[in-house]
Amino acid sequence: MSGLTTFWWLSRRDWRQRDVRVVLASLVVAVAAVATISLFADHLRQTLLSSATQFLAADRQLSGSRPLPQEFLQEAEERGLESGQIISFSTMLYGSDGQQLVQAKGVSDDYPLAGEIEIQRRPDGPRERVTRPPPPGEIWLNARLLPMLDLSMGDSVEMGEHRLKVTAILVREPDAGFNMAALSPRTLMHISDVEKTGVVQPGSRVRYKQLYSGDEAQLESFHQWLEPQLDESQRWRTVRDGQPAIADALDRAERFLLLGGSLAVLLAAVAVAVASRQYALGQRDTVALLKTLGLPGRTISRFFIARLGLWGLIGTVAGLLLALPAYMALAAVTNRFLDQPVSWSVSPGAIWPALVTALVALFAFAYPPIHRLRRVPAMQVLRSQPGESGSAARLDMLIAVVGIFALLWFYGGEIWLVVALLLALVALLLAFALLSALFMALLRPIRGGGQAWRLALVALYRHRRASLSQMAVFAMTLMLAATLFLMRTALLEDWQAQLPEDAPNHFLINIASDQVDSVESFLGEREISATALYPMVRGRLTHINDEPVREAVSKDEEVNALNRELNLTWLEELPADNRLRAGEWWQEGNSDGVSVEAELFEELGLSLGDELRFRIGGLDLSAEVRNVREVQWDSMRPNFYMAFSPGTLEEFSATWITSFYMEDSDKGVLNDLTRAFPTVSVLELDQFIERIRGIVGQVTTAVEALLVMILISAVLVMAAVVSATLGDRQREGALLRTLGARRQLLVRSTMLEFAALGAIAGLLGVMAAEVAVWSLQYRLFEGRFVWHGSLWLTLPVLSALVLSLFGRWQLGTVLNVSPMLLMRRLEG
Amino acid sequence: MSVVNGTMIKVTDLGHQVQLSGERLTLLRDVNLSIATGESVAIVGKSGSGKTTLLGLLAGLDVPTSGSVELAGAPISRWSEDQRAIHRANRVGFIFQSFQLLPSLTALENVMLPLELSHVRQARQEAHDILDRVGLSQRLHHTPRQLSGGEQQRVAIARAFASHPSVLFADEPTGNLDAETGHQVADLLMALNREKGATLVMVTHDEELAARCDRQLRIEAGVLQGSAMGATA
Repeated sequence: MSGLTTFWWLSRRDWRQRDVRVVLASLVVAVAAVATISLFADHLRQTLLSSATQFLAADRQLSGSRPLPQEFLQEAEERGLESGQIISFSTMLYGSDGQQLVQAKGVSDDYPLAGEIEIQRRPDGPRERVTRPPPPGEIWLNARLLPMLDLSMGDSVEMGEHRLKVTAILVREPDAGFNMAALSPRTLMHISDVEKTGVVQPGSRVRYKQLYSGDEAQLESFHQWLEPQLDESQRWRTVRDGQPAIADALDRAERFLLLGGSLAVLLAAVAVAVASRQYALGQRDTVALLKTLGLPGRTISRFFIARLGLWGLIGTVAGLLLALPAYMALAAVTNRFLDQPVSWSVSPGAIWPALVTALVALFAFAYPPIHRLRRVPAMQVLRSQPGESGSAARLDMLIAVVGIFALLWFYGGEIWLVVALLLALVALLLAFALLSALFMALLRPIRGGGQAWRLALVALYRHRRASLSQMAVFAMTLMLAATLFLMRTALLEDWQAQLPEDAPNHFLINIASDQVDSVESFLGEREISATALYPMVRGRLTHINDEPVREAVSKDEEVNALNRELNLTWLEELPADNRLRAGEWWQEGNSDGVSVEAELFEELGLSLGDELRFRIGGLDLSAEVRNVREVQWDSMRPNFYMAFSPGTLEEFSATWITSFYMEDSDKGVLNDLTRAFPTVSVLELDQFIERIRGIVGQVTTAVEALLVMILISAVLVMAAVVSATLGDRQREGALLRTLGARRQLLVRSTMLEFAALGAIAGLLGVMAAEVAVWSLQYRLFEGRFVWHGSLWLTLPVLSALVLSLFGRWQLGTVLNVSPMLLMRRLEG
Repeated sequence: MSVVNGTMIKVTDLGHQVQLSGERLTLLRDVNLSIATGESVAIVGKSGSGKTTLLGLLAGLDVPTSGSVELAGAPISRWSEDQRAIHRANRVGFIFQSFQLLPSLTALENVMLPLELSHVRQARQEAHDILDRVGLSQRLHHTPRQLSGGEQQRVAIARAFASHPSVLFADEPTGNLDAETGHQVADLLMALNREKGATLVMVTHDEELAARCDRQLRIEAGVLQGSAMGATA
């Protein structure tokens, strides 16, 4: 190159060329879409985590069965983290009249680090939210304890050797969660009172917890420091470990955003590829001229690469400038649904994908055809030379496909996402090859005439190269948009199905066998429809095939179910929300069989036919693994890891459990219930469910917003593709008008031509989308696949409609400007 | 590089064939010719006779399938494309039937382009001067789209002479213009060529324009008619 100045003044006029504007616009949209999505995904993750951290009462929790070292807390403090402590244990609580086993919890001053405690100062008083625990000397009790122990506000209770004053009713603590193992009523007090009670002795069953909150990076580095020092009994918990229902919602949302982001990357790549190819084709004459003027091919090459770099820079900066307000608007939408909005922030990690997308889009898709420009013969200035061969285009396609999937891999790191989209793309190309050959064979014999539809079909055939490549791009764009649309629908339906309006929100536990009938009739009389009553026996898994379970299960596997007693039940029939994955459900008369929950089955490395031995109340019981169940833990119905065949647990005494839905306004029934059955415990989960609903609601908004963004990008891509042939189409239109074609005929035939293109592309798109959704559903979202019949009709119709409008738009100037003027303008 | 014996272009036994739909097509056969420095030569003949192909080979835009071309003493038909390009930048100017101006550049910038490519320091001033000479000082900042055909060709002529070429190749320079404008452009071209003392090789259909050249070469079906070895041969 003869210097930067030549480059500069040749390039600064680039924007005057439509092809350059299209490349730049595609790039800007690409960067903007990818950056907005990753910024927003990042924001959403923060938002969801901060809503969800309330369930842990902190960002992270360390728990153990022995006192945790104080150095951990000191280190955390030095690292600028907030911290707190919890000690929880079961103990007897003595009131003025009687005693009751309670779940006691002593907490430090800072508890909770996240979320709020809900209390009532009087039994009939309003609910208050506080962020401080009771001061030393006071205790807050579960409402059921007041009638059980005949207590009033201000009374004293005794725990071990210490007296505490009852100052509030404990409605809910953030980390109470939903744990069927904790059946006794809960109490909350200051941690300094725990020692004074003297009930925590060496050997008592006590859980010690340390809470940590702070900056995500600091928490991670603290965890790295901490991890080597932890022993087997200590567990580090994040929000995800805590609550399967929330973890699931988070996972799905993240995967959906990942999918959306990947589709945005794909769309962007397609747009840049199409636009830059068109640009390269348009540059052949310029390159020939530059060669004639004495510029060597390698200099021309360098010159175009520098140009790509310049566009990359401009496109990226402009894209990011667009992404910021778009992201802030999205963040504002989701923040409306939050109690404590998360302030928006731009993390460099979220910008990276956009930069890499721009880089790859330019250099994997735009570069190959532009690089080949150096081979344009100088003779082209004197006489048009043969254009590019098909093999060059095929090579471009190969590079593009490899580039796209490398990009997806980088973006998501999720092999199944890449495979699913690749499968869909292959299906699309195969169907495309077949359908296009068929279509063109049908079109060949059609001759033109005065009718619009004939003109349209002849035009389709005449432009077959452009028509087919446009059809392929439209089909791919529609496939991506349809995939996201279908996944979003499936996702929302799944969530709806998981937590329907009448999902059970109250559990009754500790129902004695002789109370089963009366509890059932109590609920029946009040028209409360409960799920079935399930028997429950508590026991510990001790042996697998006569080998002690600790030895049988690999040490690396941290199996939570082995650390505690399990709730065992027996089932005659498979519950509606369970699914049989392996083995057979028992027939009548089969005994000594056990059905194992699928995840635990895998964690324990079991096979069908293995013999499991349980220790239940001092006795041993053996049963054979007969089948494996998938359990929907977040269905809010009683669910069990181990379910035995009827009769197997007969000799052990069981308590029963059920769940039901109850409106807030019917809460009074609970008081009748506790009065009628004082030993039955009520677990109120309505608040918990409300919060999960809230989170799902946020995610839903996000998902909808994402879908809208992707649809807009898809339309932009199609516009870019259509505008690539704008010049040719207008020239032809002007020519037809010069030859006497009526305005109406031109409009109709062009719209019909594009409608046909759109309908076929829509059909191909929906077909490929089904393939993508099919593979995504199975692998990434663990859902079930169903055909989407209505989309097979709506998508082709919709795309035919949109494209015919594009066609009309293309024709715009042709109709309004005199043909002569237009021809002249197009020559320039 | 010096000009040997006052010969600017020397063509020996030149032949050119192309592959078209699997068939070999002979475009030029046994062409021998010599053009002296400062001479003006018109190549005439029917459409498809091989005029433009010959012009492209003489200028080094393409290489012949047989024979050799020497341009200003350099064996350009044996050189790589990049070597030929650099040679062109230093010695050759072009004028085309379809003007070949870059649509995104102004008239001034189009003329500056070859000067910038040859690292000429006063590129802007020189471009300005030559555009003034072709009568376009009022149109410096117009893009090709804003200029008439005659004006565009004048910009192209200014661009061709701006880099002081020793040889100028013109392909139907008046082919896209009406008779009167064509006449004016031809006058300008011949006048400038005399002023600058460049060798001129021109392909044209225009008998009158051809007659204004020192010598006319007629080509028919790829074969040069009569002796074309010129005065210095």
